[in-house]
Amino acid sequence: MSPPDDPHTWLNEHGDYLYRYAMSRLHNDELAQDMLQETLLAGWKGYARFAGQSSIRTWLVGILKHKIIDYIRHEIRGRNLTEAVESDPTSAFFNANGGWSESPDAWKENPEDLYSNEQFQKVLESCIDKLPEKQKIVFRMRDIVGEDTPTVCKCCDITSTHLHVLLHRARLSLRKCLNTHWFEKGTHS
Amino acid sequence: MKQACHYASRLASDSLDRPLSLWERLRLKLHLSMCSNCRNCDNNLKLMRQINTLIRKNHYGQLRLSEQQRQQLHKALDQHDNAIH
Repeated sequence: MSPPDDPHTWLNEHGDYLYRYAMSRLHNDELAQDMLQETLLAGWKGYARFAGQSSIRTWLVGILKHKIIDYIRHEIRGRNLTEAVESDPTSAFFNANGGWSESPDAWKENPEDLYSNEQFQKVLESCIDKLPEKQKIVFRMRDIVGEDTPTVCKCCDITSTHLHVLLHRARLSLRKCLNTHWFEKGTHS
Repeated sequence: MKQACHYASRLASDSLDRPLSLWERLRLKLHLSMCSNCRNCDNNLKLMRQINTLIRKNHYGQLRLSEQQRQQLHKALDQHDNAIH
């Protein structure tokens, strides 16, 4: 059997997969479709360079991934987001001795129940929305999209240390917000 | 050990993104064994991560191209084909 080597076949066989990949990162229908189209065309143009060490799908995802990174990187640069590394907002959660200024509660509910609870999803979304812009971007990419560290760093033009600082800030703020608006309020059943 | 809980929260967060060094692992483990506040925080962060993973798998796992999008894409590929031949 000859390998499927035209973009129509690729679209039929891998279109949904590539579309999901693009949508989870771009959250925009039209944009995801454009990226998919560009990827198929770029793949077709560069097909001679596809040596077949990987599957067609893996190869196409690689092309799409680069296109998305370029796009996001450009977007983020254009917005000129800055966040000082020097002043540490997480200090607010701790007292002068480095202990918690407010004790974190034990959260009793399990992830599946929380996930399927629409009210909780709303609270989670609004808590994420309150994060400072740069933290929000890295948090979404890393924890919701599940992008690896080097990719997030590349998209945002930051070092891995800076990324860890931002994620620490985002997660502690989010933890506090969920605690206040959900877990502290007791049972929701 | 000043700033102990603050530092432990950073290690707990970092452990979701990178392998901790042996020294960091020991330090975090020792601190968590003595501090219920930080144990709660560590578990909270892990729970948040689990929920986010569920969102990713369930929400985006279902997405498909619509028939209309598929047709548009096929058409765009055809146009490109005609342009080079």
